[in-house]
Amino acid sequence: MLSDTLKRTYWFIGLLLLQVAVLDHIALLGYAIPMPYVYVFCLLPTNTQHWIYVVIGFTMGFLIDIFTSTPGVGSAALCATGLATPYLLKLFAPSGYAFDEPFVPSVKTMEWLPFLRFVFSLVAVNCFVYFLLEAFTLMCFGRFFLTFLLSTLLSVAFIATFEALLNKKKSRNG
Amino acid sequence: MRNLLLFLQRYMHILLFLLLEVVSMVLLFTYNRLQTTVFFSTTSSITAGINRMWGDVLAYTTLRKENTRLERENTLLKLQNDALRGLIDEEKHTVTATEERIHEKLFKYPLINAKVTSNENRADRLNHLVIDKGTFHGVQNGMGVVGGGGVVGIVAEASTNYALVIPVTHARSAISCRLRGSNWFGHLSWNGGSKLIAYLDEIPRQAEVRRGMAVETSGYSDVFPAGIFVGNVLAVGSAPDGQSLRLTVHLGTDFTNLRDVSVVKNIYRSETDSLRNHAAFNEGVLTNN
Repeated sequence: MLSDTLKRTYWFIGLLLLQVAVLDHIALLGYAIPMPYVYVFCLLPTNTQHWIYVVIGFTMGFLIDIFTSTPGVGSAALCATGLATPYLLKLFAPSGYAFDEPFVPSVKTMEWLPFLRFVFSLVAVNCFVYFLLEAFTLMCFGRFFLTFLLSTLLSVAFIATFEALLNKKKSRNG
Repeated sequence: MRNLLLFLQRYMHILLFLLLEVVSMVLLFTYNRLQTTVFFSTTSSITAGINRMWGDVLAYTTLRKENTRLERENTLLKLQNDALRGLIDEEKHTVTATEERIHEKLFKYPLINAKVTSNENRADRLNHLVIDKGTFHGVQNGMGVVGGGGVVGIVAEASTNYALVIPVTHARSAISCRLRGSNWFGHLSWNGGSKLIAYLDEIPRQAEVRRGMAVETSGYSDVFPAGIFVGNVLAVGSAPDGQSLRLTVHLGTDFTNLRDVSVVKNIYRSETDSLRNHAAFNEGVLTNN
């Protein structure tokens, strides 16, 4: 239990540092900014209290905002994503999956396609709210939509990479 | 209380989410210039719209009161407009040669300007005029009234603010007149018919009268000074008694279109009256002796 908590804390810090130190400086094609820190929600088991998702989302967003000088944008977006996570989990969990038995969302527990669907929706919620608040207008809808789409895809690609690497490591250890 | 705790437990994530979103929004609108600008301009336009709607509602509810106020203001403006138009008309009024001559003749006499407020045209030929000046303005019974065209009539009754005038076109009017350039005089009378025609009776048959000669006041009464234009001789005929001439006079004053008049204040009247009284007294004393 403690080791799980420690492991999640390391991931939290690691994702935060990766984001503020490296990924925030990437703007692929001038539009796509990877935001794989949403992966922090994939580390929590399904029996986690709903409010914990909200608080973790707000905390992560707030810390990222401090480093990126966009106060309120990241915290609001990730807070909303935290609220949406349990609902999305129920929506994209493999059919017949019993929520009475808690599981950590991953490729191993959900298979690739359901997991990617879940991650895509999670990242999409975060990117949509984030870029909407950042632009604060729908006047340049084309630019907004392109940024949202490319960032979502890139973030999903990053999370899929994490998952693939973790799976590979586990299978090697196992 | 238990229900409240159950409610909080059940919806804590929603309440927490709302609280943290509010915190995020406060941060967003406090530290981001673009969002602050857009937010405040949007809220300003919304509040302006609400204020405008509220203003419209208030304006609608006070519409009746406003309407009454506007009606009152409108009436006041109309009255002011009429008064100003009257002043403009007075300014535009061109002085005729006759008018100028009358004013020259009346130079020594104070004039009270007045307006005709009523001009009766009665079947019994006892026509009257009413003017808008009375005793308050110095008008008294027996004063003469002149207009731009000449003699108008004599004040018969004066109240505080109005006066009744017996015009030349009154069946019982008799104003002492003479032919200009001679001393032949008679009495001007009107017997109905056209308001532009009057008759000058008691002119001796030997008088040299020509058509077109001017008829003016004789000055033999205290009402009008001598020389005030009355009209022109239109025709010369015999009086019904056959002893004198009857001159048909075309009056200078158009009584069908009369508005501005002046009341002649005879300042010498008290003097002449006192002379007359004195003479009457002396005559009375002599008779008694």
